[in-house]
Amino acid sequence: MSDPAISHDLAVPRTALRARRMGFLLAALAIIALPLIFNDTYWRTNLTICAINVLLALGLDFILGYTGQLNLGHSAFYGLGAYVSTLLIVKLGVPFWVAFVAGVAFSGLAGMFLSLFAVRLRGHYLAIASLGFAVIIYQILLNWISLTQGPLGIYGISPPPALIIAGIQLADFRNLTAFFYLVSGFTFLVYLLLNQLVRSPVGETLTAIREDEVSAASLGINGAAWKVFAFGIGAAVGGAAGCFYGSFVGTLVPDAFFVTEAFNILAMVIVGGMGTLIGPVFGAILLTLLPEVLRGIGDLRLVVYGAALTFVVLFMPGGLAQAARIVQEKLRFGGPGS
Amino acid sequence: MITAVRALFVSVAAIGLLAVGQSAHAQDKTIKIGALFPMSGPGSYFGAQDKQGVELALEQLNKTGVNGYKFAVQYEDSSCGPLPATQAAKRLIEQFKPDVIIGEECSDATLAVMPIVEQAKVPLLNAGSSSIKVTEPGNPWTFRIMPNEVMQGVNLADNAYKRMNARTAVLLFENTNAGIGNAQVFKENFIKHGGQVLAEIGFGRDVNDFTSIATRVAGLGKIDVIPTYTLEGQGLKITQALAQAGVTKGGGGNAIQIGTIWLPFGFEQKAGKAALGYIRIVQFDPTETRDVVKNFSAAFKAKYNADPTHLNAHAYDQIMLIADVVKRGGKDPQSIRDGLAATKSYSGVTGSVEFDKTNQNTKMDTVHYMETKPDMSWTSLKWN
Repeated sequence: MSDPAISHDLAVPRTALRARRMGFLLAALAIIALPLIFNDTYWRTNLTICAINVLLALGLDFILGYTGQLNLGHSAFYGLGAYVSTLLIVKLGVPFWVAFVAGVAFSGLAGMFLSLFAVRLRGHYLAIASLGFAVIIYQILLNWISLTQGPLGIYGISPPPALIIAGIQLADFRNLTAFFYLVSGFTFLVYLLLNQLVRSPVGETLTAIREDEVSAASLGINGAAWKVFAFGIGAAVGGAAGCFYGSFVGTLVPDAFFVTEAFNILAMVIVGGMGTLIGPVFGAILLTLLPEVLRGIGDLRLVVYGAALTFVVLFMPGGLAQAARIVQEKLRFGGPGS
Repeated sequence: MITAVRALFVSVAAIGLLAVGQSAHAQDKTIKIGALFPMSGPGSYFGAQDKQGVELALEQLNKTGVNGYKFAVQYEDSSCGPLPATQAAKRLIEQFKPDVIIGEECSDATLAVMPIVEQAKVPLLNAGSSSIKVTEPGNPWTFRIMPNEVMQGVNLADNAYKRMNARTAVLLFENTNAGIGNAQVFKENFIKHGGQVLAEIGFGRDVNDFTSIATRVAGLGKIDVIPTYTLEGQGLKITQALAQAGVTKGGGGNAIQIGTIWLPFGFEQKAGKAALGYIRIVQFDPTETRDVVKNFSAAFKAKYNADPTHLNAHAYDQIMLIADVVKRGGKDPQSIRDGLAATKSYSGVTGSVEFDKTNQNTKMDTVHYMETKPDMSWTSLKWN
């Protein structure tokens, strides 16, 4: 029996496959080089936040871009991952990586739970349902004070324990560079897995549902089950971002997961170009770094940021991914009329 | 030709070195102050008013300098939240390399920044965050000039029971670190005196209509005081809703709203008749007759054509206290930290400053009680 993923890859032109592998190699090299180039704690902090935001954008893109489910509640999964893992560590003394797995699993299950009820909803209705879910989760985090500390917050959260193999300490995650490598390495791994998934028959199934669910059903595809699956995966990835957030910032307050955060994540996906995995990566990097780069212009910072966001949406509705494709085609075939 | 080029090169290099030397010298004689203020989002009014106070202080100090030092401030928007405050603090420390940092206003943000300043060994002088956690346990690099939530809450409960003869209270507070903390301290101390808390009503910052809460309060029977802990926007709506429900003096009722330092100067004018009888702690009393207050108020009015708020006064005091430390020999982060810790009865516009071993200002003359008169002006109650 042939492996569908391999047979699918064989259909890809050899040059494209080589280019893709080269891209992954360059990305890995960039991840290794970035903290060495930006060697102060401020920029290393920003790089780590970038990696967390890329994870969030990838999770939402998998739900929105690949199955067309307009999820406006991604902040809820982010918050669930953060709180579940942190509470397990702080209240029960559970080791970080066990708490991490629990946080990811809980967020994924919460995503599937929401999707089970929302699977028959589309467009605006799903958007409102998911937004409502985010509001409920926020209110729980805020008001269940005996469990979450609510607005009193949880402070002094420790970073993950050092990586020690055979008595040799390989990485101390109190060090910002090591923490960046941890988060970006995990994000890179998630990207590779999602990339394999969307290029496999599973990805084609999800895209078929996104394009026309009725036609997909006529081919025997169970749209509801696949949508629940996609929601679960996307929510779990969002939860992983939350697990890293708590141990990175060291402080957890519900306001970090207010519904406005869901719109920030959505903006990253749209600006990057939904339905492509690489687009949201650049969308997340751009929208994380732009406000920081613009700090130099003082009070005008957010005005310029807002104008840049509007400009991208107005003139590049397909996001950065579409803009890159246009530039690539122009370079390959020359300008219009040529 | 070669000689001419070499001469030119040497001259340029010499001028360059001279410029670098002068610049380094100038930098040596400047005290660099990093300011972490919320300048975007719902707390941006803090930042805008803080900045006015800072600018006035800088203008006055830099006319002559202090001990040969001038003062330079770099503002960073810390947005009242842990993550943006963390980013802003790291940027300040890495790029501006401040000798001292002032801010943040919100407790959540200040608590997130504290480990960063401790690690960088840069003193943080805070005025606006009331959470007890800022100084207990705190850290050796964080100082607070305003009274914390316990100091204010205990004092308010004492005065409510003893001076106002209040026996029943309803607590209204926003669901934030500071809101819950303030309300709990009042409750514990009021009950300790023998008072009774009829209800504790918390609400999110997203609540816009307080009619249902006011109606609920109206149905709770005889209420003497209503301690209220919220920012100005919601504070106005609560005060008006309570008056409309006939609960407070402003609406013909008997209850008196009381509170700690959440509301700025000018609240009464905005709230109108509903604020009648409101008694609250303010951190700055513009009616004070001390010279430092009169001079500050006059200078502020001359520069901005407006009366100063407690936020303006806080920011002004923070800079002036740093200047006082520089006058006493502070010149770098370590000596400024030590100078702050050694401060004895410094007299600022909000009151005096003297830190205990947790770096909390112990002086209660920073707590001023005000009562709103029928013409919406203040009466200073002189309770401290």
